[in-house]
Amino acid sequence: MLSFPDLLNKFGPMNESYKIISSSMLYWFSQKKWFVFSVLLAIFLLNLSTPIGLTVAGYHSLIILLMVFTLVTFEPIPFPAIALLTLVLQVLLGVAPPDVVAASFMNDAVLFVMGSLMFAIAIVHQGLDIRLAKVIIKMFGRNKRLFLAGLMTVSAILSSFLGEHTIIAIMLPIGLSVIKNVDTTQTDGKNAVLLTLFSVAYGTIIGSIGTPSGGARNVIMINYLQEFSNINIDYWEWMRHAYPILIVQLIVAYFVLQFAFPTTLKNIQIQGYKKKVAASNTKNNINHLFSSLIILFIVTSWFLFNEEFGLGIIALCGALIFMICGMVSWEVINKNTNWGVILLFAATISLGFQINDTGASSWMVEKFNGMLALMPESSLNLSWSFMAILTGLTANFFTSSATISLLGPMAIELQPSDISFALSAAIASGFSFLTVISSPTAMIIYSTGLVSTRTFFKVGLLMFTSSIAILYLMSKFYWVTL
Amino acid sequence: MNILIAIGGKEYSKPTLDLGMKISNAFEATTTIAYVGKKISQFSEKDVSVVHQNLDDRELYRPGVRTLEWAYDFLQSKNYIEQQDNNITFNDHLLIDEENSRMRVLLKGNHSNKIDLILRTGEIIDQLRSEVEANNHDITIIGGGGNKGMHHKLVQFIDSSVMVVKNYSVNKKYKILLPVNNSLGSNKAIEIAQQFAKSKKLSVEIITVLENKPSDERLKNILAKTKKRFTNAGIRNTATVLEGNPIETVVKYAKDDSLVMLGVSPKNPILKYFFGSKPISIAQQCNCPVLIAK
Repeated sequence: MLSFPDLLNKFGPMNESYKIISSSMLYWFSQKKWFVFSVLLAIFLLNLSTPIGLTVAGYHSLIILLMVFTLVTFEPIPFPAIALLTLVLQVLLGVAPPDVVAASFMNDAVLFVMGSLMFAIAIVHQGLDIRLAKVIIKMFGRNKRLFLAGLMTVSAILSSFLGEHTIIAIMLPIGLSVIKNVDTTQTDGKNAVLLTLFSVAYGTIIGSIGTPSGGARNVIMINYLQEFSNINIDYWEWMRHAYPILIVQLIVAYFVLQFAFPTTLKNIQIQGYKKKVAASNTKNNINHLFSSLIILFIVTSWFLFNEEFGLGIIALCGALIFMICGMVSWEVINKNTNWGVILLFAATISLGFQINDTGASSWMVEKFNGMLALMPESSLNLSWSFMAILTGLTANFFTSSATISLLGPMAIELQPSDISFALSAAIASGFSFLTVISSPTAMIIYSTGLVSTRTFFKVGLLMFTSSIAILYLMSKFYWVTL
Repeated sequence: MNILIAIGGKEYSKPTLDLGMKISNAFEATTTIAYVGKKISQFSEKDVSVVHQNLDDRELYRPGVRTLEWAYDFLQSKNYIEQQDNNITFNDHLLIDEENSRMRVLLKGNHSNKIDLILRTGEIIDQLRSEVEANNHDITIIGGGGNKGMHHKLVQFIDSSVMVVKNYSVNKKYKILLPVNNSLGSNKAIEIAQQFAKSKKLSVEIITVLENKPSDERLKNILAKTKKRFTNAGIRNTATVLEGNPIETVVKYAKDDSLVMLGVSPKNPILKYFFGSKPISIAQQCNCPVLIAK
């Protein structure tokens, strides 16, 4: 009997056009295998009977959720295509009628994602890193270790208000400037480089949990809480819950990094950099002054008017003012804004709404609670731990905002009247310490070519574990006092 | 002729670059030296791009440029680049954004226009395939690091001859090992081997492996013709008929000082994808540079 390869070879010599077509198809398949897999998986699941207690629409929404997880994780097709597929499937599979899908596609959280991305481009375009470098050197430049601690603290504070993607773009050139001439072939030099880069990265990542505007996930969770549980959390209340965690995390991160990257820091050049940024330029000074005023105005508005106008509208105002003042052109914003991510967030938030409305999230939570009932330990502690670790880990492989837009409804459903579950899920999803794909900060640090995925994971594991512990202790002993 | 040399980290790319440039010189080819940077998640690609623009503005090298600078210095030190103005250094460069994820390093001053330095970002197979498609490269040369699956995919999906540079020593004297058969790819390998051997004055060991049919006159004739061709061209050569499994025989016959040059398999691409092919297996198992000609 002929084997399969022999059978194929029996077809005789292949002509050139057949070879080209089959090669192109193979290449397409090798690039899109995860798309093919997710479609086949969805077809298989659609042919199974709907689980007991779950509506058909709810079951279909969970199948779409699974597809989105696969497609976003492995990226076989562009993000805008995933977004459109999510919307189309919601209608085709009867999860929701077209008008409902369209209505859930746009809300304040999506406007916030759009506004904050555009606002970030406008801020980065002003070249504020030189100004910030001067301030940091003046405040912390006396000592190299103090300088790095200052770099981390300033990154965290700014990132908590302006978002990590803005601050990493501003702070990274400062970090890279001081390590420009460090010899990385020696362990001491290599550790100095890693310590500097990780100080900026961890400061930025940790900062993003501090306020609602620190990350899109925070705004998405606030939005869900309002829609599903009718609970309003304002800017200040979020800060009261999250900022103490941020401060403790910063202290822990400082020691974790000193432990992970022991170095004398002898090759770091702060004085050389100080001379380089010392030059003053009147035009730039005026530009920086105006930029700072606009930023201050927007952050103050988030504090004072977030309930009235929404965080998204205020973020859009920031981008708008920069454009009206001629400080950034539409071309620059258009070129550098990730429209695919905005579409994807809009689509996943829309799916999140349908998962809640179809009862799929209640069904999942019911099943989850059923499992917990079998455990001897207090189910509240267990479900909190499971939820926090799950969202934290998922965010590391799937990015934080997308995780919250899809798992957020379930986190709220676990304890609908207790905001600690929802807040913990949003905050834990910001612990993007494990993988380089988890956040823009991690990816940017990785893209410098100076940090390996292995180093990121090894140090990140320590940081992730301690962050979960800090979050648990704070929610248990501090939040109850508020 | 166009040759593409893909480089990675500095410490591993010296042999690839050196052998690549020797081949390029032998063919008087136009050479593209490409560094493919890490793939960026779609979530972060714009953020990364903004940061890289910022680094350019601050005169801080974006990732990959330092590797290209090292490559440039290496080419200069080995006299692969003819530079008219000695005052021009790599510091005087501009990055030209030519298309999505491709940037060209433009050096100011007078340089040989036969060498291009390219920075790409993304999945390596995808980027090299795009580079070869866009610029019609005839040979792609890449280091032997990375996993075996990557070399398999390169041979499968890149529309040029592929050379995998493994265990190459810059100072060692090499011999070309040329396994021949009746395929079109083998003819191409013979052409490349002849030109390279003649230019670099290397000797050639021509072999053919008889599998199952010890009296295959067709292969023996090809061997004899090839030997005559090399002798006429004034290239030192030997011709040997071997018997056994082609993969095992060639791998066993190849020494550390061999440069194996052989033709691509004429097999069905679908079969090659799932079951591999003899040339791919030889490239994976040999501990020396292997060129698979297409």
